Amino acid sequence: MTTTPINSAPPALNVAHPDPFLIKIRDLIYQVAGIFQPDNKLRFLDDRCQRRMRELGATSFREYYECLTVKPIRQPEMVALLNEITIGETCFFRNQPQLDALRRVVLPKILEAKGVLPIRKLRIWSAGCSTGEEPYTLSMMLLEEASELMKGWTFEILATDLNERSLIHCNKGIYGDYSTRNLTPYYRQKYFQPVENQLQVTNQLKSCVSFSRLNLFDNARMAFMKSMDIIFCCNVLIYFDVLSKRHVIQHYYNNLLSHGYLFLGHSESLYGVCDDFRLVHLPSTTAYTKGERKTGSK
Amino acid sequence: MTYMTTKEVLLKNLENLDKMPSIPVVVAPLLRYLEQPVDQLDVQKVVSLLAQDKSLPAQSLHMANSPLFGHWQTIDSLKGAVVSLGFQRLRDIVISCSVLRLMPLGESKINPVVFWEHSLGCALVCRHFAREIAFPHPEKAYLGGLLHDLGILVNLWILPQEFGRAVDHAQAKQVPLFEVEREMFGITHCETGRMLAERWGLTPDLIEAVSYHHDAASAKTHRSLVALVALSDLLCRMADLGHGYQELCQVSFQEEPAFEVLLEECPALTAFDWARFTFELEGYLDEVHQLVRQLYGTA
Repeated sequence: MTTTPINSAPPALNVAHPDPFLIKIRDLIYQVAGIFQPDNKLRFLDDRCQRRMRELGATSFREYYECLTVKPIRQPEMVALLNEITIGETCFFRNQPQLDALRRVVLPKILEAKGVLPIRKLRIWSAGCSTGEEPYTLSMMLLEEASELMKGWTFEILATDLNERSLIHCNKGIYGDYSTRNLTPYYRQKYFQPVENQLQVTNQLKSCVSFSRLNLFDNARMAFMKSMDIIFCCNVLIYFDVLSKRHVIQHYYNNLLSHGYLFLGHSESLYGVCDDFRLVHLPSTTAYTKGERKTGSK
Repeated sequence: MTYMTTKEVLLKNLENLDKMPSIPVVVAPLLRYLEQPVDQLDVQKVVSLLAQDKSLPAQSLHMANSPLFGHWQTIDSLKGAVVSLGFQRLRDIVISCSVLRLMPLGESKINPVVFWEHSLGCALVCRHFAREIAFPHPEKAYLGGLLHDLGILVNLWILPQEFGRAVDHAQAKQVPLFEVEREMFGITHCETGRMLAERWGLTPDLIEAVSYHHDAASAKTHRSLVALVALSDLLCRMADLGHGYQELCQVSFQEEPAFEVLLEECPALTAFDWARFTFELEGYLDEVHQLVRQLYGTA
């Protein structure tokens, strides 16, 4: 295959009639990584592909599709593209429909199911917590419910990540404009204090989250993450191959209580990965619950 | 007012369905003309029939230019719209715009734009769903989705105050409208819609879709169309493309009675990827909102 100069830009996106190879790339990403870019995100996908194409000197989506499928670089290139797609995703209150569904539908169901037990404590696991915005957001949400939904209940949030540097960031709890862009003045004032031009989470908020380093493939450690009510695993599985995904999902299944919920990232799916979990639709979002385990399922 | 008297009043008022406005004058001859074999149709004749209506030309142009209807270049003439859309789609659009024009004018508990968005959104989801599972009549599915809530229009005309209270109650409790209707009136928009659908002489499959979209298991003859409409309606409501409020519930589509019904006739559904289908819907929600606002602006 010939490569053309880097500066010959690919044609601009026609949203109504997108390049068929852009659609193929969209489908490939879904097939390989389980994350879907709907039609209204095609412009975004187009932009992110073009960043990678400039890097590689590819001049058409067809050529770039070949880079992702038949060329020796296909695996690292898929990771590089996924990085482009998910970069900058992290911020506080990132996925509001998910948080609303959690608060208004999921939590009441879990509290009802668990209410019959003597210990009134929720266990939530943020798996692949990155720089900590997700577990801190969950913590703020639960603290806000302390006098209503969560009255008489306590909670613990376990947040794990493989990356040491991310965990140092979590423990410092200092965030810039990008991460804090969705924070309302109410939350800024109540749960943060200014540190130079940034915001640092208060000690009260820090005390609600336990951060630790965890490799999701460490079977021994994974077996200790028991009795979870809710697991969040957003934009983590997309980087794994199908067998690795199945392996990790199996742990999640074992670690969740029978009434538990697994939340994935926006437009992320377990289709073709695991039949044990059951997709449920919640208001403007989706999650997974433990269905009846089928005999002989993987 | 007691449960029985409300139902009695409703049923009595339903005898006066003639009070409801009818389909626009130009539509009947246009639809009759479009029933002829396609090779005998004259584009110019269709254009001139369409042009007699005050809103249909602009609405057809908007739809012809929407990605939801597969446009590939800007269309600025009515003739271009007819050619680009094709006769079948044009027929669907004429029906869409005509039915949606039946919304009462003035204050109403159901926002007309929201009603249009739900109806058109459900029509598009039905058609897309039908294609995905190899249902043999995707265009019929479109019409089923479009017309399934006819009964809401009937209720707005026949029982505006009582129905308004039902809408308020459903919104406050964030529960499905039909559940509140059943509780308050002993009858839902499915039954009132059926009466209008029969009066209009809609085909039996569409009458069943209108009648059973909240109880697909009771459908008699056209069970897969009914189930397809029921699931699409539910999916739209879960995606906040419902009746102007978000229903607070959790749904497992594979456990829905309508899913069982549809599975009987569409084996492709066994391996259906509900997650992807849901993400795809999200991708065209914005376009539905935008298109309906354009259409409403020209109604």
